[in-house]
Amino acid sequence: MKRSFIILIAVLLVAVAPPVRSETLEDGASAFIRALEKEAVESLTDPAKERPARVEAFRKLFEEKFAVNAIGKWTLGRNWRRATEAEQKEFLDLFEDLMVAMYVDRFQNYAGEKLDILKTTPVDENRATVHTEIVRPEGVDAKPISVLWRVGRQGDIYKVLDVVVEGASMSITLQKEFASIIKNTGSVAGLLEELRKKTTQLKPS
Amino acid sequence: MMRRRPCIVMLFLCSFSIFGCATPPPKADLEAYNEYLAENDPLEPLNRSVFAFNRALDKGVLQPAARTYRAAMPLWVRQRIGAAIDNLRSPVIFVNDVMQGEIDRALTTLVRFTVNSTFGLAGLNDLAGDIGLEKHGEDFGQTLAIWGAVPGPYVMLPVLGPSNPRDAVGRVVDFLIDPFNAWTANSGRESLTYARAGVAALHARAGLLDLTDDLEKNAIDLYAASRSLYRQTRANAISNGNVTGPDVSSAPVDFPDLSGHAEIKELSGKP
Repeated sequence: MKRSFIILIAVLLVAVAPPVRSETLEDGASAFIRALEKEAVESLTDPAKERPARVEAFRKLFEEKFAVNAIGKWTLGRNWRRATEAEQKEFLDLFEDLMVAMYVDRFQNYAGEKLDILKTTPVDENRATVHTEIVRPEGVDAKPISVLWRVGRQGDIYKVLDVVVEGASMSITLQKEFASIIKNTGSVAGLLEELRKKTTQLKPS
Repeated sequence: MMRRRPCIVMLFLCSFSIFGCATPPPKADLEAYNEYLAENDPLEPLNRSVFAFNRALDKGVLQPAARTYRAAMPLWVRQRIGAAIDNLRSPVIFVNDVMQGEIDRALTTLVRFTVNSTFGLAGLNDLAGDIGLEKHGEDFGQTLAIWGAVPGPYVMLPVLGPSNPRDAVGRVVDFLIDPFNAWTANSGRESLTYARAGVAALHARAGLLDLTDDLEKNAIDLYAASRSLYRQTRANAISNGNVTGPDVSSAPVDFPDLSGHAEIKELSGKP
């Protein structure tokens, strides 16, 4: 008697309880990219803002929307384990500076242009690819630019894991560059030296 | 005199091993050795020298010419030139479409060529593109890839740029099957072949200016970046833009710490 009562309660609970996640991964990922586009346009096209203020706004957006540390760690690959703790920390700091400096102008160039979301395909239960096209207003080649956004989900939080422009992945390219520099300089310290030079040269803010 | 011969050969081999070939890491360091194999660039030192030469040539000649072309020619004119170059390329694209078994794409190329060569006034207008028959590229390097040929090691060709044995063979075959080249050769108009190649190179270089300016500014190891970009864009072209294929998607999505580790929670947890 007692047992069947418990089972009845359990069945009722399952039937009544709302699904744990109301939105699907695909919907969430495309809504996330839509929001990212909106915020990027707002923070990058405000004519009242001077460049340093714009770069700061972009850094904030970047930290919030990109899995900066996860991407950084991934691009270092097997060398992550070979680096000391201090080197790992400095690398992640430099990596963020580098990404902000590199991407502020790239985003700026495209901010305000039409971004069409074509479809979203799941990669696994927590990752999806959002297929988009940027339609250039005019140019020699009228073909739109294909941009894929690899998006990861953690609970309700979405982050960009990679950007693939016309088949070229940001993460893979950086990973190959880093591996090449470490091979040629012989150490992670050599890469950090190069990154310090590059970030100073690019002057993110 | 005879005794000096082996010396010269040895000297040549030595210089080649110093400037030409990379030394593979010892097999004891398995990860480094595998990375070396995966990079598939045994000629890296030589390739880097050729790359430096190509860049100097580009900076000195091609790039200034491309900038002048872009600045001096109105967009409308450059669009016409681009359309004409694409149209002349159509027969080679068509043959490769067919050899890859892509019948739909072959028909698109055929209709495009017919429409643009006639109503498009000798290819100067991409009318077919305007009615939704969009252009696509194909080459014999891609056809070989579809047929299962491996690319082989990365090779930096003088003047022509990044390649590999498969794509280099592809270039030669594309040249040989191009009816335009047969026509110029048979009618004593070889100069037209060179003129076409020159205009195509100039137009293509102008189209790449934004990309290469970005790379010059942002790349940390320009050689490694362009090697990777060449391979990725080739893989993308071979799959006809279907980059969700295993080649590109397997690596970047495999972020180890996005599946519930503490540190990603910490960095995602920022409001």
